[in-house]
Amino acid sequence: MSNELIEFVLVSVALLGIGIYGLAVKRNAIRMLFAVEIIVNAANLNLVAFARFMPHSGGQTLALFSIAIAAAEVAVGLALIIVAYRMYKNIDIADFRSLKG
Amino acid sequence: MMIELTSTPIIIMVILGIAGMIIPVINVVRKEQGSSTFYGLIAFGALLLSLGYVIYRFYTDSVADAAIFSSDVLVDDGFGSFFAIAMLIVSIMAVAGSFNYMRDKSNPAIYFSLILLSSIGMVLIAFSTDLVMLFVAWELMSIPTYILAGYNKKDPSSNEAAIKYFLFGALSSGIIIYGISLAYGITGSTNIGDVIYGFSNLSPDMLPIGLLAVGMFIAGFGFKMGLVPFHMWLPDTYEGAPTPITALLAAGTKKAGFAAALRVVIMGAAALNLDWTLALGVIAIMTMTIGNIAAIMQKNLTRMLAYSSIGHAGYILIGISLAPFSGLGLQASLFHILNHAVMKGAAFIAIAGIVTTLGIVHLDKIKGLGRKMPITAFGLVISLLALAGVPPLNGFWSKLMLFGSAIDATSVVWWAPWLAIAGVLNSALSLAYYGWIIRKMYFEGETEKRVKEPASIVGVMIFSVIFMVTIGVYPEPIIQFVEMITPSMTAVMP
Repeated sequence: MSNELIEFVLVSVALLGIGIYGLAVKRNAIRMLFAVEIIVNAANLNLVAFARFMPHSGGQTLALFSIAIAAAEVAVGLALIIVAYRMYKNIDIADFRSLKG
Repeated sequence: MMIELTSTPIIIMVILGIAGMIIPVINVVRKEQGSSTFYGLIAFGALLLSLGYVIYRFYTDSVADAAIFSSDVLVDDGFGSFFAIAMLIVSIMAVAGSFNYMRDKSNPAIYFSLILLSSIGMVLIAFSTDLVMLFVAWELMSIPTYILAGYNKKDPSSNEAAIKYFLFGALSSGIIIYGISLAYGITGSTNIGDVIYGFSNLSPDMLPIGLLAVGMFIAGFGFKMGLVPFHMWLPDTYEGAPTPITALLAAGTKKAGFAAALRVVIMGAAALNLDWTLALGVIAIMTMTIGNIAAIMQKNLTRMLAYSSIGHAGYILIGISLAPFSGLGLQASLFHILNHAVMKGAAFIAIAGIVTTLGIVHLDKIKGLGRKMPITAFGLVISLLALAGVPPLNGFWSKLMLFGSAIDATSVVWWAPWLAIAGVLNSALSLAYYGWIIRKMYFEGETEKRVKEPASIVGVMIFSVIFMVTIGVYPEPIIQFVEMITPSMTAVMP
């Protein structure tokens, strides 16, 4: 494994850690959505970096798929959060208490 | 080699895709809202046609037996056909259960269209042999169900259910794509067969990364399967979502998680030659115990069945964790997956019928239901007894096979009998709370007048009672079918 690849992978692992930290600590729905997106982007960075050192570009194709899918996911997630905001005037998931648990 | 255009996954994708696209178009062209039944019938017809095609392909011997791997992105094999049959049955039940539920709700066209799109995703997961295809199908299954779970926009609990489901679902797909990126990085391919071949020839210094990738797959798929450390979203989502959608989630998307896990995790873990079976066994015991104990304490019917469905994921995992030691293990798991899909689907559809006609889900208010809605109550009783594993019903045979595989593996691994003991104890425990529901429905309350039951719910109940009793009385053909489609573990063991 060459040195440059290690640098990419280190950045990607750091992004994964930031994403998991954000999901575990933050309670604002949009911040949690961002945290998930950071995890997906860490994976995309990994895929593109690995594909750079391989004879074929399968990883880059998968990264493109993943970016498109993440966009669809964010559209659905933001729609759900807007509906919640209209009901509660707040997007703090700790305040959503119609269901126990 | 290209996959044929008449193969099962392609044709199902075309049928369901066209129906799913055309329903919203009809809605726009007709201008007025229209009746939900019309759109429902289109969706019902498309699903029935797809189910017919899967069975037709299977009976004309056009599918391979259980080719787990293929150089292509999709494979037309018996393993995928089996899951496709189970998931299409569940989708048909969910659509039929929605006819009455959607009668006075807005946007029925989009609702049925999203169910169809989600079904395409579930079916494609079962057939995919490439990680790219698997990921795309996984998202095609998940994204429509996020919207469906929050379909009652004005209802705070439906919205909360959808947000929780969405955040955990998005996290699980993020973890899966990270696992795929690691697997791609160390093996240089996204084809599942090549990845697993690469795993079994990994240099020792790369082994921790392979382990991390398999762990991420287990965590990512485990969120959808509702295994115990990853189950916290499940009861809230099942309770808040529209009840027919709960049936789709519990019986459909959960089984798709198992299909994906069998294709990737089990084979991958076997190839890495790790002692992974004990870990899965511990998860199995934790999952069934926590699910069943939490179910006893619930006062809400939907929530009680949600915890019971966590428990059943544990039973299914017994067979999977014993797959390398007993030939019976994987067969028993697949048999229980099919049975659980129908049993749990029927139970949730029965509750959907109760909710739409009487508007009650609380356990204290279902007194005398056996006299108010006799057919729905009877269907619910049969499915609860089948879930508990009472003898003349289908749940008994698959549980017998699961616990039998644990006894069978006793000579190889010391912890196998504990799985059987935990399973039997949990079944007894679950009979307690199922019996509580049955007692409330039939032996309490004054003489109530019978109310009119929705015809579509009655239809689903009749179908599922016939299914459960027939397999219970005469299980041989289904057991032979399951034997035929079970992949052999020895093919990948190093």
